[in-house]
Amino acid sequence: MSTKKLIATFFLLGTFSFSNAGIIKVVATTMDMKSIAELIGCEKISATSIATGYQNPHFVDPKPSYIINLTNADLFITVGLDLEAGWSPQLLASSRNSKIQKGANGYVDASVGVNLLQVPSSLNRGEGDIHVYGNPHYWLDPLNGKIIARNICNGLEKVSPENKAFFEANLVKFNSTIDAKMKTWSAAIAPFKGAKIIAYHNEWCYFETRFGLHIVDFMEPKPGIPPTPSQLVKIINEVKTNAIKVIISSPYFTTSSSDVVKNQTGVKVLTLANSVGAFDTIKTYYDLFDYNINLLTAALK
Amino acid sequence: MFCIKKISLFILLFIALAALNKKVSAQTPADSTAATDSLLLLQIEAQMQTTNDAAPFVPRVAASSNPDISVIGDFGASYINAAKRNFDAYLNEAEFSFQSVVDPYIRADFFLSLGKDEDTHKYAANIEEGYLTSTSLPWGLQLKAGKFKSAFGRINPVHAHALPFIDLPNAYENLFGEGINDDGVSLSWLLPNHAFYQELTAQAFAGYGDSPLFIRSDRNNFLYVGHLKNFFSLNDNATLEFGLSAAMGPNDSSLSTQVGGVDLTYKWKPLEHNTYKSFTWQSEIFYAKVQKTENIQVNSLGLYSLMSLQIAKRSFITARYNYAQDVNAPAAVLMAYSATYGWLATEFQKIELEGKMTEQPNHSQTYEAWLRWIFVIGTHGAHQY
Repeated sequence: MSTKKLIATFFLLGTFSFSNAGIIKVVATTMDMKSIAELIGCEKISATSIATGYQNPHFVDPKPSYIINLTNADLFITVGLDLEAGWSPQLLASSRNSKIQKGANGYVDASVGVNLLQVPSSLNRGEGDIHVYGNPHYWLDPLNGKIIARNICNGLEKVSPENKAFFEANLVKFNSTIDAKMKTWSAAIAPFKGAKIIAYHNEWCYFETRFGLHIVDFMEPKPGIPPTPSQLVKIINEVKTNAIKVIISSPYFTTSSSDVVKNQTGVKVLTLANSVGAFDTIKTYYDLFDYNINLLTAALK
Repeated sequence: MFCIKKISLFILLFIALAALNKKVSAQTPADSTAATDSLLLLQIEAQMQTTNDAAPFVPRVAASSNPDISVIGDFGASYINAAKRNFDAYLNEAEFSFQSVVDPYIRADFFLSLGKDEDTHKYAANIEEGYLTSTSLPWGLQLKAGKFKSAFGRINPVHAHALPFIDLPNAYENLFGEGINDDGVSLSWLLPNHAFYQELTAQAFAGYGDSPLFIRSDRNNFLYVGHLKNFFSLNDNATLEFGLSAAMGPNDSSLSTQVGGVDLTYKWKPLEHNTYKSFTWQSEIFYAKVQKTENIQVNSLGLYSLMSLQIAKRSFITARYNYAQDVNAPAAVLMAYSATYGWLATEFQKIELEGKMTEQPNHSQTYEAWLRWIFVIGTHGAHQY
């Protein structure tokens, strides 16, 4: 390679590296955290998510390829509460990036300040997958989305204090959009307040509480344990006794057992979106609730 | 008279109390100022909290400086046709792990094992691993020091209970016994490659191996291990790992042993239903050069190849082929075929059953079977992918 070409290459490389200068690199564990981060950080950040929207956030394989993004990240956002306990600590430890380790400015635990549900008073694994800090699916309450946004905003301001006003303005926009949309969602689901439903896994309690639904039972006999024949019999009886109209599930669970109940009782089986990106149409945190409320209200009619 | 005395006593008591009260009241302004100050401070703090934080942080569990602790039980039973005593059952091992971050610079991992000695049948305590890992070295470097499993190949870094089979591949066992697990230092470098994951590891051990091919030298001859890991995400559902390994150290002939290894692993795990379906194909080839005397060098080859298929949410079937030339007499070739069924009840319990047929170099056949029941209490971190 001639000297001129060498210099040109270095120049091009330099241009490439500087073209991204000033952009905050954000790695979130889930698509919901990524979406909220993008709504607060907008063009000032470039965000990626480790888990996709259609996979079980408890069981993400800690692939070494995820480490590449973490190594260069300025900000790491975790749902927290041991949701990602099986995979994110190992990835963080391997990232060799001190900026995003727990306790550093670039580490955001989005659950800080959330009013948690189902906090166990004692721990016994005999009860299945029990979460030590409480149910971690808190992003499924849109009002908790405001707390998540606040936490992410704080993190962004710590790593990029010069953009504080920009982030704060976006946070105000986010909160007012949630407030406005919350009115629409509440109004849509109001006629079905107290509707009894069955869920596959215990991951909807925040959604249930916010929108006044009543989850009577779960397809899983205990969290994390696949449905057993005796549990199916129990569910079939409950569906018949309570005239339950829907069983809600997530994309990452098979519907084979729910289909058995459906064939026996005529109940509808709905695959709701647990996260942004669960289906192609769900591109933002707002879409997540638009999708679920539309699907649910149509089924409960 | 008594009444007057009583009244005077009451009056005295009242005056005393009043004086005391005055003294207390006199002190109040000073305390009150302090209280106002701390109240003001609290208010300022609260105001800062509302502008900077979502809500005051309330710890959810009592803070504890204890590390993550877990105990892993490994109960086993075995059958072998070519022995006087065909059946055996034993608590193979109880592994205690203690893991935590030490400070902003390092973390520590300890794995203490209470295992059964194969010869004496008595339990002995052993430090299986005990090491520190740096968390904040620059330039993508990570340092490890202590006693730890080496980075050679795909099997060596993994704890036995996490492998999808019960016995070790013959070729691997011939070279390393139960594996290279020794006192030493390790430096790994995450190459600045944005296209795929690439990690280069260089390790130096005191030299003690679990086979006669690697022993601790009286002189300054150490055991050196190198590993280059290349990991490619083919798509969301499939990955490919290609690794190169090398180990060089003193052997029981006071000369050196050199082993080179190549590993290739393909994994398919659909993201959406990753808890229900998966497939792994993993193969490793080992080539060893053992210097017996100044003039005699024995070269041998060994390999294994396995396929593991997840047939249901909790059921796995693994089939493995083994080929191993004797490290001292390569003309003697052993071949073995094994199949393992694993039932993973939960993340904390699995039962595995393995059957193995070995064709010995003298063409006789050996049949073996094992049962392994792994159970975990406490918090146990994830294993490497």
